Amino acid sequence: MDELDLLKKHWQSDGIEDKHLTSKDIYPMLLKKSSSIVKTLFYISVAELIFWILINTLPAFFSDGYNERMAELYGSHISVTVFTILSYVVIVLFIYLLFKSYKNISVTDNAKKLMENILKTRKVIKYYVIYNLIMAFLSMVIGFYYAFQNDPKIKTIFEDPNNTKSIITYIVIVAFTGLFVLIIWLFYKLLYGILLKRLNRNYKELKKLEV
Amino acid sequence: MNKELEHSFVELLEKHQNIVHKVCRLYTNNYDAHNDLFQEITIQLWRAYPKFRGDAKFSTWMYRVGLNTAITLYRKSKRRINTSEFDAVQFKIKAEEYDDTEEQQLKLLYKAVHQLNDIEKALVFLYLEDKNYKEISETMGISEVNARVKMNRVKTKLKTILNP
Repeated sequence: MDELDLLKKHWQSDGIEDKHLTSKDIYPMLLKKSSSIVKTLFYISVAELIFWILINTLPAFFSDGYNERMAELYGSHISVTVFTILSYVVIVLFIYLLFKSYKNISVTDNAKKLMENILKTRKVIKYYVIYNLIMAFLSMVIGFYYAFQNDPKIKTIFEDPNNTKSIITYIVIVAFTGLFVLIIWLFYKLLYGILLKRLNRNYKELKKLEV
Repeated sequence: MNKELEHSFVELLEKHQNIVHKVCRLYTNNYDAHNDLFQEITIQLWRAYPKFRGDAKFSTWMYRVGLNTAITLYRKSKRRINTSEFDAVQFKIKAEEYDDTEEQQLKLLYKAVHQLNDIEKALVFLYLEDKNYKEISETMGISEVNARVKMNRVKTKLKTILNP
């Protein structure tokens, strides 16, 4: 007899009597909260949306000095308005894409489809993070460019050929921003790596079957 | 959710709970982890229940939700121990039904199945539940041919684990 067939014979006659639950045991279970990875993924994505929206908008709301400085540096340049509108469009677009991909996740799909839909959602979150990190880096570089163009104090410092210290400071700031962006990126990689390790492994195993 | 729906769900789950227990038995190795996974599968079943049309058998529908939760959605609880620390007590084999050799063989078989990966366990589970390859392929999202090929590989793997 095949090993699995022996197991099958026992498996089907096994009533698991020792674990039998009554309806009284089941009712309270319906009220408990889920701890599925989809729920965790959802919380992380909402936290990320809020985090990046706050990072982008808080200084403008709470600091008059920041607003004055921005106006002084950039003036009413058309690109700033376009940039602001674009960033809000992107946020709305990401919220829509996230909502749509969460709606597509269904536990009643087949195993492969369910995994694919979760991974698609994770991709949307990944692109949102990449977008924000690129934007953070670009804003800094553009910010310095404008400061160099419009701020008389900085202009004098950089025009002085003997002032190597300030140039080094500038390079160090750019390098640190790059490093900061890299650390955040690695943090996300680690976070999602841990959360989706099992899913990725199982998805690869299923995909392997198709080869 | 209305009371009537809740009542019909609990009644069906009570009747078919063995399916969920068996999924938990394959994917966990101790009492707490078993209960944790049972709880999570129950929540997932309950959430999906309003969309359950009744055109599929409740039990068939349960296989899909149960396995999906075990393989994909379930986050291992901190209490869960390593699979290698498999507890043979979980599998109470009725001594009166088998002779000693068969009992020993069964214990070894359960241990061997526990060493398989998540996907292999799912295939074994559906096979043990007497599902045909069409149903296995539909539940897993792979072709029937691939399900068959993989199942044969799993059988060979089990043989290797049992007779190293």
